Amino acid sequence: MKQVFFSILRKEWITTIRYPMNFISSLVSIYLIFFLIFIGYKTVGGGGPNFGQNLESIIVGFFLWTFAIAAYARLSWGLTSESTTGTLEQLYMSPVGFHWISVFIVISDFLISSLLEIPILFLMMLTTGKWLHIDVITLLILFIPTIGSVYGIGFISGGIALVYKRIQSFFQVLQFLFVILIMIPAHETTIAKFLPLSFGTYLIHESMTQAVPFYRMNPADLAILYTNFLFYFFLGLWIFTRFEYYARKKGVLGHY
Amino acid sequence: MERLTKIYRSRRKEVRAVDNISFDISKNEIVGILGPNGAGKTTTIKSILGLLIPDEGEIFISGRKVGTFDRWIYRNIAAVLEGNRNVYWRLTVRENLEFFAGLQGYKPSELKEKIDFLLQRFGLESRQNDQVRTLSRGMQQKVAVAVAFIRNTPILFLDEPTLGLDVESSLELRKTLRELASENLKTVLISSHDMKVVEEICERVIILKNGRIIANDRIPNLKSLFRTIAYKIVYEGMLQEELKTRLKDNFLNVTFGKMNFVVELKRTEDIYDLMDLLRSYKIQIKSLKAEEPDFERVYIELIKGGEVN
Repeated sequence: MKQVFFSILRKEWITTIRYPMNFISSLVSIYLIFFLIFIGYKTVGGGGPNFGQNLESIIVGFFLWTFAIAAYARLSWGLTSESTTGTLEQLYMSPVGFHWISVFIVISDFLISSLLEIPILFLMMLTTGKWLHIDVITLLILFIPTIGSVYGIGFISGGIALVYKRIQSFFQVLQFLFVILIMIPAHETTIAKFLPLSFGTYLIHESMTQAVPFYRMNPADLAILYTNFLFYFFLGLWIFTRFEYYARKKGVLGHY
Repeated sequence: MERLTKIYRSRRKEVRAVDNISFDISKNEIVGILGPNGAGKTTTIKSILGLLIPDEGEIFISGRKVGTFDRWIYRNIAAVLEGNRNVYWRLTVRENLEFFAGLQGYKPSELKEKIDFLLQRFGLESRQNDQVRTLSRGMQQKVAVAVAFIRNTPILFLDEPTLGLDVESSLELRKTLRELASENLKTVLISSHDMKVVEEICERVIILKNGRIIANDRIPNLKSLFRTIAYKIVYEGMLQEELKTRLKDNFLNVTFGKMNFVVELKRTEDIYDLMDLLRSYKIQIKSLKAEEPDFERVYIELIKGGEVN
């Protein structure tokens, strides 16, 4: 198991950094998008009384949004691409089982994304002059379940892609759905606490802007966050296995 | 494999890709599956690998049912499907071998020697640090096959291993496959529509047509089904048109080549009549050799005809 995980982690890392220019330009693009949002917001709402507070929300929201897209893309676009190249069938034939392979891909992706997103977060803070509170332990405790629920959605769309293949436009729509999920005020609406991404975003926002450590948070909130994560992650994984079964039944697992 | 059936259904039509087929493969046996496009070769292999769920039938590997004991099965089988796919084109040759060995649970250090050995055997040593996408099609295919070998499993499935290769690459890959399969005592199932691959590597062949098995036997046995009394005669000089006509009239099949012809006889003793006829036209014979039916002809006859019991 350990060896399989390290092999996947190594492979994911190599493919991420294989083309340095491509890698750097994707980081620059993410930063430029943020910079444009920041300039736009500064121009429109620069004089407002809540400017600083809203700016913090934008940084947290944008940071989570890019993280969520990266997480979701690995499972939706990534699995579609593996299916196209024929490597999906090889992954499927690993003795540890395809579910573990998928989970290892998710963990590897989370670790690599963390390494890439953190410098962008610092750049965003440097650009805006707004220095958020970074409590690594609290952030990890909140980040894993928040992004974990997005992996659940990634599994669902990855499963759909296994069977129906050309659904890229559906993937793009989902990227905008994440914006909505991040913007929903989850602390004010009970139902929003049970949506993926939303409640975690609120708690991360609290931690980064109000310097609330995890042990000062309401345990019920953390319980909701983790239940939410487990529900979406395993629901996604279960739906993925159903689609995978259907793909094998239809004979389209490695076809594109 | 017992009574395997797979039907692909779409809104418009239903295709019976594999229709109630059964066969066994013994340990360390090298078996080929031959058949024209759409005969059911890939469906059969993917069903054995658990990548396809059949509509009917059961498959057992060493007594373990596919679909129930998948972890055991994937510890013991490796496969190359559809030629040069199956490998990561952005990884180097060595990285691919290390990754797939790792997927099987091996540490790269444990397999260093084996990786070096395979790189050397497949002639990939000098390109081991090049990304697979930069290699020729033949080399990419070799990487895919080497990746299957690095998994170090006793059972190997090769689906069209020489598909799209030029003559030289195909020859080279066949040679390496034959050597490795016999040296490492592996049970191998090769699907191909390239007769040479099957004839050179396999001990037994299963021929599929329209999803059904039409022949399942050793290659010499299949050849003997189509054995005829035929001779190839190489001569000097010219064959007159009149002689050609007489040859055609008096014997079964006559095929003329450049300074040679192949003639099929009804009975062995007809060779004397043939010699007399050639002598009467003062034809100088350089050589005379009994013709063996080639496997390609056997295959074509089988595909054209029906089932061989």
